[in-house]
Amino acid sequence: MSAQLPANGLRIRRASASADPAPGIRQGPEYAKLVDISRCIGCKGCEVACKEWNELGIEPTQNFGSFQSHRDLSPHTWLLMRFTETEIDGDFHWLIKKDACLHCAEPGCLLACPSPGAIVQYENGIVDFNQANCIGCQLCVSGCPFDIPRFNPETRKVYKCNMCIDRVEAGLEPACAKTCPTHAISWGTKADMVRLGEQKVEALRARGLTNAVLYNPEGVGGTHMMYVVPHGDQLEEYDLPADPTAGAGALALLGSARRIGASALGLGLLVAGLHYLGFGPQSPEEDSK
Amino acid sequence: MKPDEIQRFTFAERVVHWVVGLSFLFLLLTGLAFSHPRLFWLTSFVGGGPTARWLHPWMGIVFALSFVAMFALWIRDMKVDAQDKAWLRAIRHYVVHDKTKVPAAGKYNAGQKMFFWTMSALAVLYLLTGVPMWLPSGVLGIGPFYGGLVNASRLVHYLATVGGGLFLIVHVYLGTVAYPGTLGAMLHGTVTRAWAKMHHARWEGDHRGNS
Repeated sequence: MSAQLPANGLRIRRASASADPAPGIRQGPEYAKLVDISRCIGCKGCEVACKEWNELGIEPTQNFGSFQSHRDLSPHTWLLMRFTETEIDGDFHWLIKKDACLHCAEPGCLLACPSPGAIVQYENGIVDFNQANCIGCQLCVSGCPFDIPRFNPETRKVYKCNMCIDRVEAGLEPACAKTCPTHAISWGTKADMVRLGEQKVEALRARGLTNAVLYNPEGVGGTHMMYVVPHGDQLEEYDLPADPTAGAGALALLGSARRIGASALGLGLLVAGLHYLGFGPQSPEEDSK
Repeated sequence: MKPDEIQRFTFAERVVHWVVGLSFLFLLLTGLAFSHPRLFWLTSFVGGGPTARWLHPWMGIVFALSFVAMFALWIRDMKVDAQDKAWLRAIRHYVVHDKTKVPAAGKYNAGQKMFFWTMSALAVLYLLTGVPMWLPSGVLGIGPFYGGLVNASRLVHYLATVGGGLFLIVHVYLGTVAYPGTLGAMLHGTVTRAWAKMHHARWEGDHRGNS
């Protein structure tokens, strides 16, 4: 583990670029946020609460023909309500997605990160960026299957939602969940939230939304922000990847390649050393005798 | 120059070679640091992780530019000919220092030529895969590269580094302790006639009478 871990290091389950095991002391429950999209009225109170609690500051908004406040996430906007306008069965529909870190159980960002302890995963499921250790390489951005982390070129650090870890550590729910006026965002243990999510999906299906699903994708080991999606057949329209994976493709190959590569280079040094001991130097002086 | 010495590298060749060599060493050490948790400590040589990440691509530019200069300086002597093929067939004798069975080499032996051409190809790979990782949000209107392209670049960049690193180990070993008298060619530019006869007999023959 790195020298610059956060103060609550005992809660760490996994740290980026660390070959050593985690401290393994605290084994508390896993928490999760459940976002019931069917209850969201698009007020964006959660965006404001996120900005306020995390002191992210104002970013001017622009009207670009959407109800959406900003075009994209940024180092200063960790939560963005995305509004997709679409037609389903001839009716206009607003597909709203609370776009922020999903806190994967298998975090692609953490697996991609080359800097020890720059990304940590706590036993409660929260995946947090520790900017003190961030080297600004942005490989986490490419490792994330949800396109969440955002790089600030001025500080050369990457930022994202930390699930209000300072609130959670103090026994409070994240700011977005606290502020939501329609209780579209629930907070509790992961097991409770999965149960609640399944109940909500059942209720939606009973109401006729037969495609409703609980979004808790297995490819990333499940997430600690889950969605109740009313139109589960429109995941891509919501900007939710149907089958996200952590450390997919080239990134997974790199994992094995780097073990072989480091060994090959070590072996190369060893062979050079052994060759010298076996055959010694070849000097021209000897030759001229 | 002493009477029994031959000029092997000019001042310009030596400067260019050392810029290529030292920048490559910097890139190799910082690159390995990014590649494996157990090697991250290597960044402390250059001032820590953030500094290493910031300097690595700029050093890559230094490497690329100096490599182009080195390529232009040396390509004339790097053409592979029939004698090089004979040399390569006898490489196992070369490895065990059985020099009577190794065909005489010109200014560069076939192994050095292989090193030159392999590094040239790898240098192109380093550049092509390095840029998406350096500037993943895009450059010169191309990009962004975030996602699969960066991850694929990272894998190829790494594999190319292992290849280049293995060649470097051989190069440094042979150029220093294995063959005494070689390093001087890259430091003060000259080698002894005995050294030239031993390692590059055809090249030594070309220089007879003009020293």
